[in-house]
Amino acid sequence: MNDMRLIERAVDMDDIKISARDVQVYYGDNHAIKDVNVDIQDKTVTAFIGPSGCGKSTFLRCLNRMNDTIDICRVEGDIHLDGEDINDKRVDPVQLRAKVGMVFQKPNPFPKSIYDNVAYGPKIHGMAKNKAELDEIVERALRRGAIWDEVKDRLDAPGTGLSGGQQQRLCIARAVATEPEVLLMDEPCSALDPIATAQVEELIDELRQNYSVVIVTHSMQQAARVSQKTAFFHLGNLVEYDETGKIFTNPEDERTESYITGRIG
Amino acid sequence: MTDATAHTTPEPGRKSSILTVDAQTAKRHAAEGRFKIYGIIAIGIGLFFLAALLIAIVSNGTRAFTQTRVVLEIPLVPAEIEAAEGSIVKTAKYNDLVGLALTRALSDAGIETEMEPKELLKMLSGSAGANFRNFVLENPEEIGGSRSFEFLASSRVDGYLKGRVTREALVDDNNLDAAHLDLVDQMREVGLVDRSFNWDFIFGADASESRPEAAGIGVSMLGSFFMMLVVLAFALPIGIAASIYLEEFAPQNRFTDLIEVNIANLAAVPSIVFGILGLAVFIQLMHLPQSAPLVGGLTLTLMTLPTIVISTRASLKSVPPSIRDAALGVGASKMQAVFHHVLPLAMPGILTGTIIGLAQALGETAPLLLIGMVGFIASNPPDGLASGFLDPNSAMPAQIYEWAKRADPAYYERAWGGIIILLLFLMTMNIIAILLRRKFERRW
Repeated sequence: MNDMRLIERAVDMDDIKISARDVQVYYGDNHAIKDVNVDIQDKTVTAFIGPSGCGKSTFLRCLNRMNDTIDICRVEGDIHLDGEDINDKRVDPVQLRAKVGMVFQKPNPFPKSIYDNVAYGPKIHGMAKNKAELDEIVERALRRGAIWDEVKDRLDAPGTGLSGGQQQRLCIARAVATEPEVLLMDEPCSALDPIATAQVEELIDELRQNYSVVIVTHSMQQAARVSQKTAFFHLGNLVEYDETGKIFTNPEDERTESYITGRIG
Repeated sequence: MTDATAHTTPEPGRKSSILTVDAQTAKRHAAEGRFKIYGIIAIGIGLFFLAALLIAIVSNGTRAFTQTRVVLEIPLVPAEIEAAEGSIVKTAKYNDLVGLALTRALSDAGIETEMEPKELLKMLSGSAGANFRNFVLENPEEIGGSRSFEFLASSRVDGYLKGRVTREALVDDNNLDAAHLDLVDQMREVGLVDRSFNWDFIFGADASESRPEAAGIGVSMLGSFFMMLVVLAFALPIGIAASIYLEEFAPQNRFTDLIEVNIANLAAVPSIVFGILGLAVFIQLMHLPQSAPLVGGLTLTLMTLPTIVISTRASLKSVPPSIRDAALGVGASKMQAVFHHVLPLAMPGILTGTIIGLAQALGETAPLLLIGMVGFIASNPPDGLASGFLDPNSAMPAQIYEWAKRADPAYYERAWGGIIILLLFLMTMNIIAILLRRKFERRW
């Protein structure tokens, strides 16, 4: 896992999935995100790195408007998904979130059966006409979440009874079940042990085939392992955004270099 | 011990040894010990009063659950019944028949007495003649035969057998003499007097001041039941809807803050204030019938709402935000997130709060005083649902209060008995609340 053949992972797709321009986020009087401009590509894993409190999770939550649920939070600037403004008045955040799925830091399965966890999203979006179709969707999602083999015999068991790593893969399966186009992951491995982390990372690499994946991580090794593009955030600013190989081997900004070499953070 | 002392002596250069307790630590231990003693004393006082309460209730109240009856064989002679029915004071004539039957029964049993039948009748409840007449009117086909009746003994005879009434106490009593008590002793020996479980106390209606032996709590129990139905039907949906809106949807501003402070304060408003509010709104303004369980239930709904809202909001708050995030993350709307995920998880807490609110309402007396649900309501059990909600009735705690107020010591005994029944209900509800909480324990 640790060989950093970063240069080989050239990105050859230029489809821009999400573009953000002059994004500002305020928590009350606190200016948490300042002038962030970033283009996130399709079928690519983009990693957000940076010290704690630098705003990377906050920015991630702007991308599917999860910040709407926080009363004191205010977002300014333009964020476009496939050229459409996601903050447009006509956009229903519910539809947006079906397109831009999210996996959270702490595995948060519903206290229901494994099957119901995955089936919930497709059910509320009316994706299945009957039980057989729903079964199929659930199986496909669990396979994509790389957890099918472990749970196929106990789909009725509660999702909360799984181990931490399994729970997180279940949450990923739940997120992909609604067929999103973008998958946001907020430190998905921070609560997992190294083996579970490796499984999830492998999964992220596979997900790249179908989705644009944005991952927030504290682990620079993880960013280097799974991503093609990396953005470094510091004190609410997007300091540097480039190909992962370049960020980790030849960063342009001094602060980036200090961070990846462990001098600040 | 020389070895030990060698070990405990601090080495030179070391400031203290952990093997000896220094003054400050000893002081702290003493403080801890004192605190433990205070706690034990406090719990001891609580347990003492609980034990005193239970002993008082059981020793005073259990007697209400048995009742003395006099067993009499009365011939239903057609001529006598016709004469009684032809009279103006029908019940009095029937009373005379019962008195004659009692005299006969005594002489048959070999008990000698010089008392007139009228005097003998004082040993029976005043309702004996009426009960006899009712039986005759309902069963005309029995006329001509003979039948055994169980008449309630008067409250004093009952009290004598229960040890409540003594011969000394009868000196000032116009109703009964020591001679009556001698008769009772003899009647008990030959089996004319019988003491058995008092179902009428649990299922019967209240009786007038002079006939405590006939009073029961059953009708007011039904009154309480219909009130609880009203409370449940109004307080649960209103309370849950208000809590969900305030907790999950309402914007945080000065207005909602004001509402929150008000709800918290409402929970501490004396219940009699809710009583006068109910009187003003439901009876004077809306002209709903006075003394009706519907009005009582609505008034208690007002009183219970804050309790339900506060406990519902607390249990909604205790659902981790990660569950809401998860639901929103897969594209559920806010309402779906609340109704599919948050509410089911908060349900045990909500139900527990509701049951506790109901128990509180069940035991509440003060608001009922103001809307006229207290006092002598000798109604029969309500006849159907509408009558249950709209006809004047009382409630268990109001009935107990009413009995405790009456002069006859036999009513005092009934009041204690009523408290036993009320406490059994409250205990049952609390046990249900505990079981619900156990069964749906947090599952994450």
